[in-house]
Amino acid sequence: MAGLCSVFSVCLCLLGFSAAVFEDQVGKFDWRQQFVGKVQFALFDTHSQASKKLLVATEKNIFASLNSRTGDLFWRHVDKTGPDGHINTLMMHGQDAVVVVGNGRLLRSWETTVGGLNWETVLDTGSFQSAAYIGVQDVVRYVAVLKKSAISLHYLSSGHQKWVENLPESDTVQYQTVYSGGNGQVFVLGVVPNSHIVIVEYNIEDGEIMKQKSVAAPWLSSLQSSCVMVGSGVLLCADPTTKSLYTFPLQSADQTTMTPILLESLGVEVAAGFQPVLISTQPHPARPPLSEFFLQLGPDYHILLQLKDGLVSTLRDFNPSYLVAFATTGEKTVAAVMSPKNETVSSLYCTVINLYSADTGRRLLDTTIIYSMDPNGGKPAKLYIHTFLKKDDSVGYRVLVQTEDLVLTFLQQPGRVVWSREEALADVVTMEMVDLPLTGTQAELEGEFGKKADGLLPMVLKRLSSQFILLQAWMSHLWKLFYDARKPRSHVKNEVTFETLSRDEFNLQKMMVMVTASGKLFGIDSKSGTVLWKQYLENIQPNSVFKLMVQRTTAHFPHPPQCTLLVKDKVGLGSLYVFNPIFGKKSHISVPALPRPILQSLLLPLMDQDYSKVLLLIDDQYKVTAFPSTKNVLQQLQEMASSIFFYLVDSSQGRLSGFRLRKDLSTELIWEVVIPTEVQKIVGVKGKRANEHVHSQGRVMGDRSVLYKYLNPNLLAVVTESTDSHQERSFVGIFLIDGVTGRIVHEAVQRKARRPVHFVHSENWVVYVYWNTKSRRNEFSVLELFEGMELYNSTVFSSLDRPRPPQVLQQSYIFPSPISTLEATLTEKGITSRHLLVGLPSGAIVSLPKMFLDPRRPEVASDQSREENLIPYSPEMPIRTEWFINYNQTVSRVRGIYTAPSGLESTCLVVAYGLDIYQTRVYPSKQFDVLKDDYDYVLISSVLLGLFFATMISKRLAEVKLLNRAWR
Amino acid sequence: MQPLSRAVEVFLLLQSLSVVSCTFSDPDSGPSAGAGAGPAGGDRFKIEGRAIVSGVKSQEWVSSARVLVEGGEYVGFLRTDGSFAVHDVPSGSYVVEVISPSYRFEPARVDITSKGKMRARLVNYIKTSEVLRQPYPLQLRSSGPHTYFMKRETWGWTDFLMNPMVMMMVLPLLIIVLLPKVVNTNDPEMRKEMEQSMNMLNPNPELPDVSEFMTKLFSKGSSKTGGGSKGSRNAALKRR
Repeated sequence: MAGLCSVFSVCLCLLGFSAAVFEDQVGKFDWRQQFVGKVQFALFDTHSQASKKLLVATEKNIFASLNSRTGDLFWRHVDKTGPDGHINTLMMHGQDAVVVVGNGRLLRSWETTVGGLNWETVLDTGSFQSAAYIGVQDVVRYVAVLKKSAISLHYLSSGHQKWVENLPESDTVQYQTVYSGGNGQVFVLGVVPNSHIVIVEYNIEDGEIMKQKSVAAPWLSSLQSSCVMVGSGVLLCADPTTKSLYTFPLQSADQTTMTPILLESLGVEVAAGFQPVLISTQPHPARPPLSEFFLQLGPDYHILLQLKDGLVSTLRDFNPSYLVAFATTGEKTVAAVMSPKNETVSSLYCTVINLYSADTGRRLLDTTIIYSMDPNGGKPAKLYIHTFLKKDDSVGYRVLVQTEDLVLTFLQQPGRVVWSREEALADVVTMEMVDLPLTGTQAELEGEFGKKADGLLPMVLKRLSSQFILLQAWMSHLWKLFYDARKPRSHVKNEVTFETLSRDEFNLQKMMVMVTASGKLFGIDSKSGTVLWKQYLENIQPNSVFKLMVQRTTAHFPHPPQCTLLVKDKVGLGSLYVFNPIFGKKSHISVPALPRPILQSLLLPLMDQDYSKVLLLIDDQYKVTAFPSTKNVLQQLQEMASSIFFYLVDSSQGRLSGFRLRKDLSTELIWEVVIPTEVQKIVGVKGKRANEHVHSQGRVMGDRSVLYKYLNPNLLAVVTESTDSHQERSFVGIFLIDGVTGRIVHEAVQRKARRPVHFVHSENWVVYVYWNTKSRRNEFSVLELFEGMELYNSTVFSSLDRPRPPQVLQQSYIFPSPISTLEATLTEKGITSRHLLVGLPSGAIVSLPKMFLDPRRPEVASDQSREENLIPYSPEMPIRTEWFINYNQTVSRVRGIYTAPSGLESTCLVVAYGLDIYQTRVYPSKQFDVLKDDYDYVLISSVLLGLFFATMISKRLAEVKLLNRAWR
Repeated sequence: MQPLSRAVEVFLLLQSLSVVSCTFSDPDSGPSAGAGAGPAGGDRFKIEGRAIVSGVKSQEWVSSARVLVEGGEYVGFLRTDGSFAVHDVPSGSYVVEVISPSYRFEPARVDITSKGKMRARLVNYIKTSEVLRQPYPLQLRSSGPHTYFMKRETWGWTDFLMNPMVMMMVLPLLIIVLLPKVVNTNDPEMRKEMEQSMNMLNPNPELPDVSEFMTKLFSKGSSKTGGGSKGSRNAALKRR
């Protein structure tokens, strides 16, 4: 019977570890935000007036369609990362968008309403230069792709190649531009830098070279940066040295030199050291470009010019102006200019956008859009115009502005923001979750317990007054509920503001502080996903390394919480940015200057008198800087110095070294482990998380004895990879090193294995994933460390006094999918069983019970193993779609998963970030500490009421019966 | 963990150097699939196929679907009719899967020889050399929508009645109500028999019975209420 019972319990367990979501929970406590990244190309669908499509191609190799009314995604295609998926150009014609991908490797045509491919063609190798539509008699038929040494023409309907021709003298001439005016010729323009321009004319039908000529231009180095096509086939170039424009009509038979036009003759001056930029527009690919164009003379100075009969005339002078753009609707072409609101004071924070008629330069009436910039944001960088014809045939327009801090704002007249997107969040580097502050009433209540007793009567009075405050708060809450209930549902959506921001009763709502690669910081409410504050740090170099630390939590009222961001540039030179994580305000605390490269930073549990934890920064001379460095802190450091250890990793030399702090804040080397770089290189080093709790010291075995865990808080897991990548000889190594003594506690080698390696180190186990080159599959391996059946020193763990090495158990499993990232759940006290969160390339996040990764899983189930709820070993790990915590809300390109404990032991908060951000809660052991949200209140209360009435009735009946008996 | 935090060493394990984290993000340059993988500059091939969801128009799902070869080392997109091609794949052995958040597709393994010969077979991670041929170009048929959600336990009368606790409650109740009717307790012979059987159950009459003890204990406490009810009964009698 006992055996049967335990089988039953095992079965229950197997059913029970569902981290699954119920269908009615969708969107209740989880949210996803999708991003596209920094926009490179943006095109509005002008095919029809009612169209809402905005097509964007971004630096993240993404091609997407946005709804221009709401800013939501219609669809998004995520290509592979790196140069192979890079989008070189985006062109649109009708319903179809043509995209050149991977340095001219692929030519794709997308059906933009459905979001599927029309066709896809592989092009010959060669670096991509430019692409253009080729029209014949007002109809666009072909697309021409210019490579370094060849030009090819493709049918727009099918993608088939019409012809491909090698370019003459392509080793000396840099061909850069392809142009067609819509009259049967294709011009290819090339330049020999500082010598001459080469113009080759091809026949559309067969690719035969019709004409070839060269024009002297000794001042020209690049066509793309200084030349445009204007009017009916006129090449226009700007030369900063002679301060003049040069024109050359391509079709002219006799002209052999370029005609110079001095800028002085137009009465304008180029700003010193500025390369003038020409901007022209070709509204229809089958027709020649317009003869009007912009000339940018300085960073804030544009003029609108017109080329007529070889003469350039000024239409309008825009000084100052930040950004300009052309747009066409129907037959009308307009120019939009962004300029400061007040022409005398060049205040950057309030700018206006006006529309001008392109052919006259006249300002169109009532076309002003006021664009006010975020003072914490960056400058506007790009301007895209969406024009449409109003009913009275005048031109209406909307504006898309991209700023330096990657905010996309879509505006309409007179300055209303239709939507805005924070595209910096597509590249989150690191994040932390910070508890929200208590409200005034909560703080009052908490304060009551902290203070010393004042005597009986004041205590009672205080108690009563705080109860009264609570009652008041509850009443107002009820009133709000009642008030909201009368309003229609859509209005109730309560806005999260700083005023309403306070900790909820289970600490489930937190502030997500996110650091993005562009140097923009965000504070996001974890419950709703609203961005509550943002701060753009200027002068952040690309490829900087960020490390975010919470120095002071919200627990130390009235001291504000404090976060410190360490930014390290490529050389390692660091800078500190200290801010309040709740409000995003920069703190005024003076930060230490860091003149030398920073090797390592560590946050000590020591606190100064303001309750901020001490941050130690170790520079390349092994000198230590403390922040904050008050007298109190230095004194504490001196006392503690002999027990403060840290480690450094130098993966280029394969060296791990351990140091101890001296009293004078210098350091001494204690141990050094060298992993020879000829054989293997260090892939990653991970310790345990500082806020992790382990509840049980051991595991109860089937025979009621206890197997104690080896819980070394100083243990480091070091993963290495062989330098030899041959599939027979490659291996992945794992070392478990004690960070204080440098003792190698365990080492293991996985033969015939290679990258990608992901690993998690927690409690007494390390889980790592590698690629098995022999069997071509991903495998999980788990290492668990145990002390044995008795504990050596059960009160205190010391790395220096641990005579016996731990027992190490290991098991491996097949995982039937590749893996993007790996993380373990974390709860408040560590009572709840652990799950592994596995991010898959498909965008799903699997919550895998740690129970499956237990090296004690027996090959044959015995009574004892059943007693312990061990699942019998099976080589392949299951993946069930019920374990996908994000159901169909896939997270593209998952880069990291952040887990944080909540106030409820059963609940772990999870944020997955990558291209998208997804926030949810997981319950690894189900919700054992709160009533489930499907708890049947009706049933319980009806049963109670029923029982109550039943007792009433039966009492009455019993009375009647007794009475009757008495009369008998 | 808590006792451990009082450890002698104050040692913190923090995110290691930037160098280390950088090595993780390095793009994978080597050829993907080991054995048959040709040199990096070798011939590149194209994997073709078609994904089919029966009963659903392709327009509804192709925009959210992708084709991943070896978990994203090579990526392909679906045409509006569901067909796909992944370009520039060197020779080797790859797992090709169609990823869609709404529909489930089985992956397939495609082997490409260095001469460009292709074959498709079922993915088997345990017996990796086993060959169960599949048609090439790939025909990936969806096996239906994904099941992401658990079913809520719904409450029904039958569940309630068949609950062992309820059964345990109801059956003794029935016995208590019905047994006195069936067996005549006034029959002295029967009473004797029952007493005997009770004595059999209680082998040592000297031992204080727990249930008796409890009833005594509680009857003391509840004597007041008993009196109250008696009083009310008397009152009722008087009223009569």
